[in-house]
Amino acid sequence: MPKSLLSIQGVTKSFAEVQALHEINLEIHSGEIVGLVGSNGAGKTTLLRLMAGVYKPSSGSVLLSNGEPVSSMRHELGVVPESTGLYSRLTAWENIRYHSRMHGIPDSISWARTEKFAEHLDMKDSLSRHTKGFSRGMKQKTALLRALAHGPNILLLDEPTAGLDITSARTVRALVRQLRDEGGTVIYSTHQLAEAQQVCDRIVIIHNGEIRADGSPMKLLSDTDTESLEEAYVSLTLDQARTRKEDNAKESAFSGWWRRLFTPRTPASTREVNEDE
Amino acid sequence: MSEGSFLRVRAIAKKEVVEFSRDWRTIIAIIVIPLLMFPLLFILFPVLLESEAAELDALELSIVIQTDGLPDTLAENISLGSMEYSLEILPNLTSLSEPGLDLERVRNSSTDAILRFESNDDVWGYAILHLSTSERSSEARFRLLTALSIWEDSEVRERIEEGGMDVNTTLDPLRWDGEIADGDVATSGEQSGMILSLFIPLVLAIWTYSSAIQPSIDMTAGERERGTLEALLCLPCTRMELLLGKWLAVASITGVGVLLQIFGLLFAIGYLASSSFIGVPQLSLLSIGLIVLSIMLFAVMVVAFELALAMRSHSVKEAGSILAPALMLILFPALFTQVINLDGIEGFWFAIPVVNILLALRELLMNRVITEHVLIWVLSSLVYASFAAYYASRQFNREDIVTSLS
Repeated sequence: MPKSLLSIQGVTKSFAEVQALHEINLEIHSGEIVGLVGSNGAGKTTLLRLMAGVYKPSSGSVLLSNGEPVSSMRHELGVVPESTGLYSRLTAWENIRYHSRMHGIPDSISWARTEKFAEHLDMKDSLSRHTKGFSRGMKQKTALLRALAHGPNILLLDEPTAGLDITSARTVRALVRQLRDEGGTVIYSTHQLAEAQQVCDRIVIIHNGEIRADGSPMKLLSDTDTESLEEAYVSLTLDQARTRKEDNAKESAFSGWWRRLFTPRTPASTREVNEDE
Repeated sequence: MSEGSFLRVRAIAKKEVVEFSRDWRTIIAIIVIPLLMFPLLFILFPVLLESEAAELDALELSIVIQTDGLPDTLAENISLGSMEYSLEILPNLTSLSEPGLDLERVRNSSTDAILRFESNDDVWGYAILHLSTSERSSEARFRLLTALSIWEDSEVRERIEEGGMDVNTTLDPLRWDGEIADGDVATSGEQSGMILSLFIPLVLAIWTYSSAIQPSIDMTAGERERGTLEALLCLPCTRMELLLGKWLAVASITGVGVLLQIFGLLFAIGYLASSSFIGVPQLSLLSIGLIVLSIMLFAVMVVAFELALAMRSHSVKEAGSILAPALMLILFPALFTQVINLDGIEGFWFAIPVVNILLALRELLMNRVITEHVLIWVLSSLVYASFAAYYASRQFNREDIVTSLS
């Protein structure tokens, strides 16, 4: 059994009255690619943010192998959030260097690592360009380089191929597999089962804030007695997916009331629509 | 603060300043406008006014004089004022100011003004009909009043001489002996400090607040909206380091803006006024040190307060709609402070937020160091600055700062 790098024990996360995650237990082992699969609003991003130490669990714990909470050992992690989080007025290298400096890594070391991975991603010539004009694929690759530059033990990727063209998505997936082959650990959030099947050694299906299944693709098929992962997913998530409520929870009662005050009633029939016009 | 912590704060501040300065609009807003605003206002505006005045001077005006007899010397004065006139008989009215049938003639500009002039034994009566919303008509009134005043002056002198009296001693029996300025015992340095104390605190307060709005929003709600904050929160830096780095960046940008604006202001005043009007204020080293301290405390408070409000906002739009009207919290106390009399001022004024620093600056620019006042404003400002910093740190520690409503 490989060494456990990250241990999530009994984690529940709530925002105001909304429970985003409920009693999550998960062990992440060294050298595996773990796919977090679920629909929009299932709780994947919240779980990733807990693993990255951005959120604190309402109850339970997220600990590294040495027993330390992730928030105190962030240099162990490389994170690529869904939005990539690049500064458009900085060059790709400046973006990477900024994060590396925050990790306390000398520029020469982060440059050497960046150069190595940039070759794989065909990004070497773009490192001196400002990211403002970058395509979604180039931004994603830059964010990936930024996450790798300080040599993390665990890579957290939130929807890394969302919005990418086929070629860019393939390149990203290939790099993720290469990192695993070199001993790295990757946690890969996606809502595409086919992609998870291609890339991940282990798939964790999250639905309505709960883990519904956890295992290799073959294990999921045998456990659910289905012939495809899609069928397995459907059989595990038969209850209706909740709407994403985490963001709405932030709006104050007065703001909500004021917004509704100036929102016309949705027409109940075609006749009402015509009358309005 | 550990070395690692210091390096991270420095890296954050440096990145913010570099990124911010790469937007040319920012450079114009933070550097060019403050530098040029007062010189443009004080130098170009008077030039524009002068050219407008010259244009008015060159106008040939047409007026009507309604009179029962116009003295030759007055007629001569009116002609010298580039006014063509036609004479009419004085209409029969209850008072000369009553427009009567001439109202429309002035309103439709068929004449620029009408002078009514009536002899009444030794006293003359007059009135001028004009249209105050017309520049030509107002100019005609002004020239007529000038001509009348010159004529009246010579008439007075003639009558005094006719009465066998000396004109100069009759008209000017009380005179200042010597130079008026010599009577003021304040030194020129103190006078300069007094003049500067009337607007430097005001400029400093308003510009510190307003120039910090844009960077505060960009570095907090802007980061939140663009999704860059999440990546930053995953880094091994504490939220306090993040706040410190951003505070340092906003304070630096704001500091440059304020300094440039004061420089522009002093340049404009120096250009316009004679050297005796404004010079270098006479300040002791202690006053200078306390001025720097007061500005720093004010900047800590204002920038932390703005960063907190901006970080509390869920979007750039929301932050803008909160921070812009919040300028009133600075503007009203700043204006109010200008009219407070500093002689014998009570100590409690130096404990009121914003007012305390502005009053302190006014006193210090006049080189007045009053220990009781200094203690009150230093302590109260420290409390307010600490509160603002604490409030900002609370906002930066919120979990929901990672998400945006946009």
